[in-house]
Amino acid sequence: MTDSISNDIVPTLMPLGDAGMLVKFSNVLSDMANRRAIGFSRLAEAKKLPGVVEVVPNLVSVLLRYDPIEISFSRLAGEVRMALQNQPDALAVEGGRHEIAVVFGGESGPDLNEVAKLLDLEPEAFVEAHNSAPLRVIATGFAPGFVYCGMHEAELVVPRRAQVRRIVPAGSVLFAAGQTAIAATDIPTGWHVIGRTDFRNFDPGVMPPTRLRAGDTIVFAAAEGIL
Amino acid sequence: MTHGIEITRAGPLVSIQDHGRPGLLAHGISASGPMDRQGYFAAGCACGSADAAIEFGVLGFDFTYHGAAETIVGFSGGKFLLAINGKRVAWPGSATLEDGDRVTISMGAQGNYGYVRFDRSIEVRTLMGSKATNITAGLGGFEGRPLAKGDFISFSQDRVSKARGEGATEPSQPDCDSIRFIWGIHAHVFAPGTQATFCEADFTISSQIDRMGIRLIDKTRVFAGQQVLSLVSDAVVPGDIQILGDGTPVVLMRDHQPTGGYPRIGTVIDADMDRLAQQRPGATIKFQPIRVEVAQRLVRVGGV
Repeated sequence: MTDSISNDIVPTLMPLGDAGMLVKFSNVLSDMANRRAIGFSRLAEAKKLPGVVEVVPNLVSVLLRYDPIEISFSRLAGEVRMALQNQPDALAVEGGRHEIAVVFGGESGPDLNEVAKLLDLEPEAFVEAHNSAPLRVIATGFAPGFVYCGMHEAELVVPRRAQVRRIVPAGSVLFAAGQTAIAATDIPTGWHVIGRTDFRNFDPGVMPPTRLRAGDTIVFAAAEGIL
Repeated sequence: MTHGIEITRAGPLVSIQDHGRPGLLAHGISASGPMDRQGYFAAGCACGSADAAIEFGVLGFDFTYHGAAETIVGFSGGKFLLAINGKRVAWPGSATLEDGDRVTISMGAQGNYGYVRFDRSIEVRTLMGSKATNITAGLGGFEGRPLAKGDFISFSQDRVSKARGEGATEPSQPDCDSIRFIWGIHAHVFAPGTQATFCEADFTISSQIDRMGIRLIDKTRVFAGQQVLSLVSDAVVPGDIQILGDGTPVVLMRDHQPTGGYPRIGTVIDADMDRLAQQRPGATIKFQPIRVEVAQRLVRVGGV
């Protein structure tokens, strides 16, 4: 039942320049559109669509970069439509499972108490609720090795901070908009910093340089309790 | 004896570049690579090198060559002034360098980016398949950063193999003044009439240009006061014309951020990217829409 509904999402195919196609499943972020996008990206990689040189899953879309000498936009659009029609199960995203140990609060997570307060929870209760359910990597690509994980239940949604921090260190675990993100490099952010992990999803010395893929399952665990 | 060049003066935006590292957007890394690919290729053809180049900005840079053997330097891109030991050499072109030769490159009549390449390989680590510097991510090239006075760039002892199939030897002349683009993934989110005014308007290249992007001055206020609802972010490609919250148009270039949440009205076609990159601050440009089918036909016949 769920599958038939999901397959009713007919994506829009749009040029992104003269060597890119955006396959867009929705204008707004939803769990279904995200699964469809990730599912299609895996399919596109497995199928090796003609002329396609790069498959980039986004939150609700997939960018296909292709060689316009090998295939035109309209021919590729035909290939994509055919692949989507034959997609056996749009939502069966098989991904790796990763446990990420996080030190919550204290110097590692200066915004933990504020986030807990916003949600009317004790910090310990927030951490427990945060870690209770596995999350999915819903998008990558914002910065090297950066991942967005979601989606949290509606009870755990807080807005971003009013102030952007100019820099937070690699390993920062960020929280906002019903998602938890992990920074693999030093970045600026307007999200709440709730903890830090030793896990680094970026090593420029190896190929591929990151380990987490969109669709993977993430289980967060408290490393040393709350500081 | 040490072999290579010592940077004795560096203007802004001097960095090591090669073909770049396409294919890593999902990992959060844009492809980098030369801002003016034709200039880059021409410099390679001039010295017979397929190895990395040093790309430099409008103010150029100076270096001294150190090595027991002679080396050939090729240079192209824009119009710069180049002198060896104070003696002017015609641009673009090539020259043979001997130990202690001082090369000075300064601002010339045209362009923002020039290239020097050598018949030696530049000895920096190949990272994810490329020696290119990605300024946004701070990786690749020389310590992941632009070159500065005092840096020493080491060369291989052996000469590199000849450049093969590396494109035109002469930078081709543009056959039109406007910058051609394909309507973007958010072209429809702007106020009615915006598409028409966007194509009629003159835009000025601002002084805020770098490898990440070119900020434009929207003199006729095409985008002023436009409220666009928040968008879900998508991957970015070079040439995307994004409109910031205050209405400023920015064309994203080789070291672009990998994803973007600002509305994109269009994407500059690949064939016009080099020419756009070389437009100096103060220059006026117009955008001309082109259908993707037409742009791709141009690619296939090899025209610009």
